[in-house]
Formats: sequence, structure tokens, C-alpha cells
Amino acid sequence: MAEQPAIEPMHQFLIHKLVQGPVFQIGGVNFDMSITNSVASMLVGAALIVVFFLTTARGSIVPNRAQAVVEALYNIVDRILVTPIIGHHGRPYIPYLFTLFMVIAVLNLMGVVLAFGNLAGQSWTFTVTSQLAVTATLAVLTFFSVFILGFIKHGPKFLTLFAPSGMPPALLVFMVPIEMLSYFVRPITLAMRLFGNMLGGHVVMSLFGSFVVALGIVALSGGVATLALIPSVLSFAMIVALTGLELVVAILQAFVFTALATVYLNEVVNFGHGH
Amino acid sequence: MAMQQQEDSAPAMPGHEPVAAHEGAAGTEGHSGGMPQFDFAQWPGQIAWFLIVFFGLLLFVRFFAAPKVGGTIELRETKIADDIAQARQLKSEADAQAEAAATDRARSRAEANKLAQESKAKARAEVAERLAAEEAKLAETTATAEAAIAQARSKAMTNVGDIAQQTALAIVEKLTGRAASAGESAAIKAGRG
Repeated sequence: MAEQPAIEPMHQFLIHKLVQGPVFQIGGVNFDMSITNSVASMLVGAALIVVFFLTTARGSIVPNRAQAVVEALYNIVDRILVTPIIGHHGRPYIPYLFTLFMVIAVLNLMGVVLAFGNLAGQSWTFTVTSQLAVTATLAVLTFFSVFILGFIKHGPKFLTLFAPSGMPPALLVFMVPIEMLSYFVRPITLAMRLFGNMLGGHVVMSLFGSFVVALGIVALSGGVATLALIPSVLSFAMIVALTGLELVVAILQAFVFTALATVYLNEVVNFGHGH
Repeated sequence: MAMQQQEDSAPAMPGHEPVAAHEGAAGTEGHSGGMPQFDFAQWPGQIAWFLIVFFGLLLFVRFFAAPKVGGTIELRETKIADDIAQARQLKSEADAQAEAAATDRARSRAEANKLAQESKAKARAEVAERLAAEEAKLAETTATAEAAIAQARSKAMTNVGDIAQQTALAIVEKLTGRAASAGESAAIKAGRG
């Protein structure tokens, strides 16, 4: 029993250095630019995206399969989100939203597809989007880009966003703080939603993975303990099922993040057109 | 940096020996429920790297992927729309030509019908005319012939009268043994009349 591996579902989220990099100190904050497993996964993800586009994005009128795939992905952003929600004024923002979608989707999928590495206790796989630092960066970047764009496009008038029209002035005293709160909580919900989804799924998978091994070892001691094989096998079946679920969640969360970003962007682009 | 100094002294995880040397302090804390994600020492580096990667990709998508993919989709839609418009135009042209051909045909047919009608009428008129002429000629011939017959008959009748007179005179002569007197001859002639 002493050999039983400890059940550590959080271990997969540990960051460790692969290559020591320079450390910059800016404003009392240490920016350690070492290549960690997290950074390596980002770089691999970015390389995958670049290679994917370079090999699939052909300018052919009659697309082959790969081109049909990349066009379908593009149309998720264009035809399902931007055009119906924002309209033609949303076209300039497609590259940002498309990048957002692709980055989240690929980093999510890498976490699921390569997750068996975690189950085997290996550290060469890493789910970048299960890092709050990363999801918060995405959320804050998106939220404040949209917020600043509002001021660029509409000036101080943009602040009337917090005062619903047709509201009796007495109620505005209550409404404005509530509206502001609901507005500025957006980056937090964006960050926490993606982080929580990726974290939860991976923790559960890791737990079931640990059960497979731990119960298997128990079963090896023979006798009545052999019965432990049953929950061990069931746990394995759970991992298979959860992997399928996580694949869906990976794409869905990328879509949800992008969809919300589109909705927030719509308030700015079509500001004052009634919504 | 404090975290990293701790890193090396962190005890190796059971079952994770190959990477144990790199595992951070959060690993030991993670064991007791702490989350590595809240190891804020890792945040600045991770955020900086992520921003670099994200903006790199953003530039790539903005200047290569999105224009290429979106442009191709747009190009295809424009081409399909153009082709359909062209096909529509060709179809309408073909329809117009077919209509013109149909009108032409109808007109020719009408003309042909008219011509046929006319020539038929003309032929009929000619036939009637010639028939009339022939009939007139025939009637004339018939009349001439009838006149000749009548003449011949009256001539023949005259001859018959003479023969009867002479026969009567001969009978009288035979019966009486003498030639008929002038009075008797006159009576015979009158009797005949």
C-alpha cells in the first residue's frame, strides 16, 4: 500500500520551468520570461494555429476538405456571431474575435487531447486555459478593448450606457450603480467561466484517473480486494465518457467566450441604436 | 522569486520523479488544497508570454488568415451570384429568342394559310369559270343539234306527207282505174292537212 500514488488532481496545473529566461523587473513586478510548461504549450498552440492556417487557407473557389474546415470555423465567427449580432459594422472586428476563438479552442483542445499525459503523471502536457492568469488576461484584454473602443467611438456620451433611457431620475440613483456593477463584473465572469470549466473538467478526469490506478493496485493484493477491479474499470469508463464531454466543453467554451465578446462589442458598435 | 528558491527544496512527488526537480512550491501546497493557479509569482511571466503569443497570432490572423479565408468566401459568393445573374440573363435572352421564333413561325404559318386559301379560291374560281364556259359551249352545241334535228324532222315530215299523197293517189288510181281528178287530189291534199 505504501506504493500507492497520492491523489493529486491539482498537480497537473503546476508550472515548472523548462528553459530559464531573463527576468525583468518593471514597477516592482518580476516578469520571469522563462519558458515554462505553460509557455511551451502556448507556443505549441500558436504554432499549431499558424500551421493550420498556412496549410488550409487556400484561395480556391472550389474548396478541398481542409479549406472547407477553415472556412466553417471562420463562418462560426462571421455568419453565426458577428453578422447576426452586430451586422456589417462588425466586420472590422472579425480578426480579433476569430483569433480569440481559435486561441481558446486550440488551447482547450490541447488540454483534452493530450490529457492522457496528465493521467500518466507526465508533465509535458498542459492546459493553458486552466490558468486563471491566462483566462483573466483574455477577459480583461477583451473587456477593456471594448470599453475603450466605446469611448473612442462615442466619447463621454458612452457613459449613458449606465443610465437606461426612460428611467425616472429618482430611480437612476439606484440603477446607475447596479448597471455599473453588472457591467464591470463582466471580465470577472468571462475569466472565471472559462477557467472554471477547464479546471473542473480536468480535476474530475484526473481524480477518476487516480482511482483507476489506486484501486487497481488495491486489487493486485489479491483475495477480496480483487473486487476493487470493478470500480477501477468503471472509473476508466468514466474517463472515456468525460473525455467526450470535455471535447464538447472545449469547443463550447471557446464559442461562448467569443459570443459574449461579440455581444459586448455590439453594445459599443450599435450604441444608441436601441437594443 | 521566493517561490522559485523553494522549488528546488520541494520534496519530490511520489510517482512524479522525472519532473520533481522542477516542481514549484505550489505543489506542496496543492497537496493541502491550494491551487497552483493562485501562485501569483507565476502570473507576470505567464501573462507577458500569453500577450506576446496572442498579439502575434492576432497579427497573423489580421493580415493573413482572416483576409485569406474571408476573402475567399466572399469571392466565392460574388462569383456564384455573378454566375447566377449571367445564367439568368442568358436564359431571358434565350426566352426572348424563342418567343421571337414562335412569333415568326406563327406569322409564316398565317401567311402560308392565307396563300393556300387564296390559291384554292383562285383555283376554284377558275374551275367554275371553265366549267361555265364548257357548259355554255355544250348548251350551244346541244341547241344547234336540236335545231338540226328539228329541221330534219320537219323536212322528213314534209316528205312523209308527199309520200302519203302520192300513195293515196296511187291507191285511188288502182282502185278506180283512173287517175284522180283535180278535185280529189285537192281533197287528198286537204285531208292530209
